[in-house]
Amino acid sequence: MTPARTPEIIYQLKDVAKTRSSNGYTFGLRVPSLRIHRGEKIALIGESGCGKSTLLDMLAFILQPSDAGSFRFHAGQADAVDIGAAWRKQKRDRLAALRKTHMGYVMQTGGLLPYLNIYDNINLSRQMLGMPADDTVEKLARELGLTRHLRKLPDALSTGERQRVAIGRALAHRPAIIIADEPTASVDPFAAEKIMSLFIGMVEERNITVIVASHAWRHIKQLGLRRLAHHTRRSRDGRMTETVVSG
Amino acid sequence: MFRQQRHSLALASRDYFHEWRISICFVLALAAVLGPMLVLFGLKFGVVGAMVDALVEDPLKREIRPVGSGRYDRAWIDSLRQRDDVDFIVPRIRSIASTLSVRSEEAGRILQFEVIPSAQGDPLLDPRLAPPSGLDKVVLSASAARKLQVGAGDHIEGSLLRQYNGRRERVTLNLQVAAIAPAAAFSRDGLFASVALVEALEDFRDGHAVPALGWEGAVTERERQYTGFRLYARSIYDVAGLRDSFVRSGMNVRTQAADIESVQRMDRTLSAIYWAIALIGLGGFSLSLGASLWANVDRKRKELSVLRLVGFRSGEIILFPMAQGLYTAFFGWVLACGIFAAAAWSINALLAPQLDGAQKVCRLLPEHYAMALAITVGASLLAAILAGIRAARVEPSEGLREI
Repeated sequence: MTPARTPEIIYQLKDVAKTRSSNGYTFGLRVPSLRIHRGEKIALIGESGCGKSTLLDMLAFILQPSDAGSFRFHAGQADAVDIGAAWRKQKRDRLAALRKTHMGYVMQTGGLLPYLNIYDNINLSRQMLGMPADDTVEKLARELGLTRHLRKLPDALSTGERQRVAIGRALAHRPAIIIADEPTASVDPFAAEKIMSLFIGMVEERNITVIVASHAWRHIKQLGLRRLAHHTRRSRDGRMTETVVSG
Repeated sequence: MFRQQRHSLALASRDYFHEWRISICFVLALAAVLGPMLVLFGLKFGVVGAMVDALVEDPLKREIRPVGSGRYDRAWIDSLRQRDDVDFIVPRIRSIASTLSVRSEEAGRILQFEVIPSAQGDPLLDPRLAPPSGLDKVVLSASAARKLQVGAGDHIEGSLLRQYNGRRERVTLNLQVAAIAPAAAFSRDGLFASVALVEALEDFRDGHAVPALGWEGAVTERERQYTGFRLYARSIYDVAGLRDSFVRSGMNVRTQAADIESVQRMDRTLSAIYWAIALIGLGGFSLSLGASLWANVDRKRKELSVLRLVGFRSGEIILFPMAQGLYTAFFGWVLACGIFAAAAWSINALLAPQLDGAQKVCRLLPEHYAMALAITVGASLLAAILAGIRAARVEPSEGLREI
């Protein structure tokens, strides 16, 4: 049986772990087994510090796992990529190329480039791939309610609007996966709920796999996401924290 | 093929001009170090350059003349003229025979002038004016022309006297003033004449016939001997070598080698002082440039992480600080050149009263500007590459979580 070769499975993780230490405190994230299928909508819910971001960063190939039993990624038509091996060989440019082609990322604080206007910020992911200029950006802007802001710099926009720009950038190059790390954490709860449902709606429409981290399950449970089970343990002296995620 | 690189450069430019306030600070910081260094170098180059120019331009410094009188034949003089390090050589005759009484219509009295053998290319004469030639065209020194109240093109009358067969004989010859020599080159009363005319004067005094001028006398075949010569080295740097070769052949010569050497020694001393200051300045300059570019990359870690996140490769990330470093280097250099131009103009204007018109105390050649640009660009590229490599090594997740 070679499950990683099944086209439906995008991520296949087995015994992947990341351990970090600072000031005598050790923090660990362990993923005994995780499978994510194409088109799935995954929610990762938990308080900050429980390791959500660590998992997301590993899934986005921007954080090297300390231990990768098996970490396979299969997005395009080509064979599955051994991410663990790519890290071991320090093939960062290969990982960057995978991100560029298959992935959109929405950061907690937007991560927009302050020197590009909204149009160019959304178009950045398309430009990276050399995609031709068409009306994609305008269409996205219309859906996201950003049309009148297209020529402005990010400075001129509210936090909520900036998050919507970030969502637009993550969608613009039609990636297979979008990873969103607390995309609405810095927005007021009312706006947060609106942005989140808009986001999930757009992702669903385009049949994109999405992995969202959030500390509030309340306003995303009605959006039909699969919640990843995780369990956090603390050692008795509080110096060691370990989170186990599986699903 | 270079789409991504171009994209990276375009983004770096957008960022650089978007943050124009900070960019201006970097440019100012660079120009503040580079500008004064250019002024310093300009001063050193201008001061020493002016001294060397004065030496090179002053033919007297290149002059070599034998001590006392000797016997030199034409072939020997000609062989010296063939040497690469000899600019000009003309034979001299006995000084007792080298005077001429001259009078002009404008000045009534008769004046005694020293006759100096000369020819085309004589460094004492203005090369743009006609040289003495034939048996009738002469050049007057400035003071001689003043006393005779004549100018170029005027006619004067020379006369000379000899005791021949117990009789006093006087001959006159009509001369035309071909040109007036520059005052700086020869301060005494003098008359520059062609070698042929000088030889004629000597022959007449010695009782020989000069058929070309219709002067009678003894007709004898003899080889002409000169008592000395006036020689100019091609440059001041050739003087010492020529002097040594004369000394080796057993001839005593008088030169300005000591003067030349003292200026060269001063040049070396000033250069050493300058290089000491320049090295310290260059060190400070590189540190300041490196520190500011490094700090800039550090400041931009988050933005560079975003670029990494959207899929820029390491090489393209490094291009980002490199492009910005190049901008800072170029604009800083332009501003530094501006600072130098203003400072040099002020210094030169301030010292103008003490200098001859064209002399500049503070100046640079185009290649100096180019060298400053090359050093600045090199140093900033090095700093940007080092900082960029560091930025590219940072795990993007680290940069992203800052804030």
